[in-house]
Amino acid sequence: MALLEIKNLQKSFGDLKVLKDVNMSIEEGEVLVIIGPSGSGKSTFLRCLNLLETPSGGEILYDGKDILKPKFAVREYRQQVGMCFQRFNLFPFMTVLNNVTYGPIHLLKMPKEQAQAEAMALLEKVGMAAKANVYPDTLSGGQQQRVAIARSLAMHPKMMLFDEPTSALDPELVGEVLCTMKELADDGMTMAVVTHEMTFAEDVADRVIFMDGGVVVEDDTPDEIFSNPKNPRTKAFLSRILDR
Amino acid sequence: MRTLQNLNFPKAMAELLPKLFGQALEIVLIVSVVAFVLAILFGFLFALGRLSHHKILNGILVVFQEFIRGTPLLVQLVYIYYVFPLFVEIIAYWCGNPTFKCTLSATVAGVIGLTINYGTYISEVIRSAILAIDKGQTEAALALGFSKRQAMFRIVIPQAFRNSIPVFGNYLLTLVKDTSLMAYITAPELLQTTKAYISQTFTTIESYSILAVVYLVICLILSGLLKVAERKLVRRR
Repeated sequence: MALLEIKNLQKSFGDLKVLKDVNMSIEEGEVLVIIGPSGSGKSTFLRCLNLLETPSGGEILYDGKDILKPKFAVREYRQQVGMCFQRFNLFPFMTVLNNVTYGPIHLLKMPKEQAQAEAMALLEKVGMAAKANVYPDTLSGGQQQRVAIARSLAMHPKMMLFDEPTSALDPELVGEVLCTMKELADDGMTMAVVTHEMTFAEDVADRVIFMDGGVVVEDDTPDEIFSNPKNPRTKAFLSRILDR
Repeated sequence: MRTLQNLNFPKAMAELLPKLFGQALEIVLIVSVVAFVLAILFGFLFALGRLSHHKILNGILVVFQEFIRGTPLLVQLVYIYYVFPLFVEIIAYWCGNPTFKCTLSATVAGVIGLTINYGTYISEVIRSAILAIDKGQTEAALALGFSKRQAMFRIVIPQAFRNSIPVFGNYLLTLVKDTSLMAYITAPELLQTTKAYISQTFTTIESYSILAVVYLVICLILSGLLKVAERKLVRRR
């Protein structure tokens, strides 16, 4: 059974239908990369997956349970689904270490010492241990994003969502974040990534989804999508992106 | 007719300053501190009320706010000191207690008036500071699994408060100066004490000049303290 199964998902903002009818699933351990032109609804789709946006219709099944049902335990679900944002959104009044331990201490009720030990291990993993005691505003964008990844991982999520994690970064800082994400993928983390980094999609994704106009236009392996796109919209998009 | 030659500053200082630095200064400082702390508390609760989606509560608060902003603080103080107790007595009368006497001390009336007035203004500072915090902060907290309320109280409000501190400082300075309005509700604060001294000695120029300098010194010291506090508290935005 798929970890997440999305059926007929719709989202409108007023009269604007951003997601028309999205159907897809994410398997456990899978790295799914979502690509598409701006305004195609891919970010909205990702934000619906942890209910930062409330879908207007459809179903999202997590382990077979519909997360859109009123009785569904949204906060517990969000603890299991980490999210990294385009603009990192670290808490600026806390040190890097406290950013990472804040969730485990207050939500998982983890003892402080254990939370700090785990946080240091995670910061080590993303290469930020040396900056544990500084405040986020002294870090570069790439460093902040790596801390944000560590912050999400500290909650022991079953799955990670990435909403254009490198779009706000200077070009020379993109690599370090993608590298961290690749390591995460190699560890077997289930990931859904919205990105414009096509090389990342080609190298790391198990599956690539091309979205346009609020629907999934093509859903296939990266090999197929990039070397043999079937839909003319996918072809047009990729030729625009790749022939720069 | 008084001339500059027969001004006697040393004498006025020797007599007036001890009076000012006694009970008068005490009242000003206590009222300022108490009213300021209460005003921030009041303003905070008021701001939360305004940010809630409760339509009726919001409406009441907006009307109240316009009332406070649309009438002078002096009138509010006079109203609280002279009129409010009368209303209480009328209500007591209706409730079958015709001998009930209600009086507010001038200091208490002053604290109430300043709290409500400043609290109302401060509520707007806090409200806009809360609204100015990036939505991403709330989203990050929600994504970790915090509730909306937790995101608000643990992540958004601490930042909003920190950002408001410089503005709070400004309000504290004006509040200290506005305690002088309490002279009109008989509180024996700095202005009232000075006026009493003048009525006995007719040293108008000397006394009011001394009063002005005393306020200036208080405010300069306060503003120095505020700068230090700001530097310590506004570490991070």
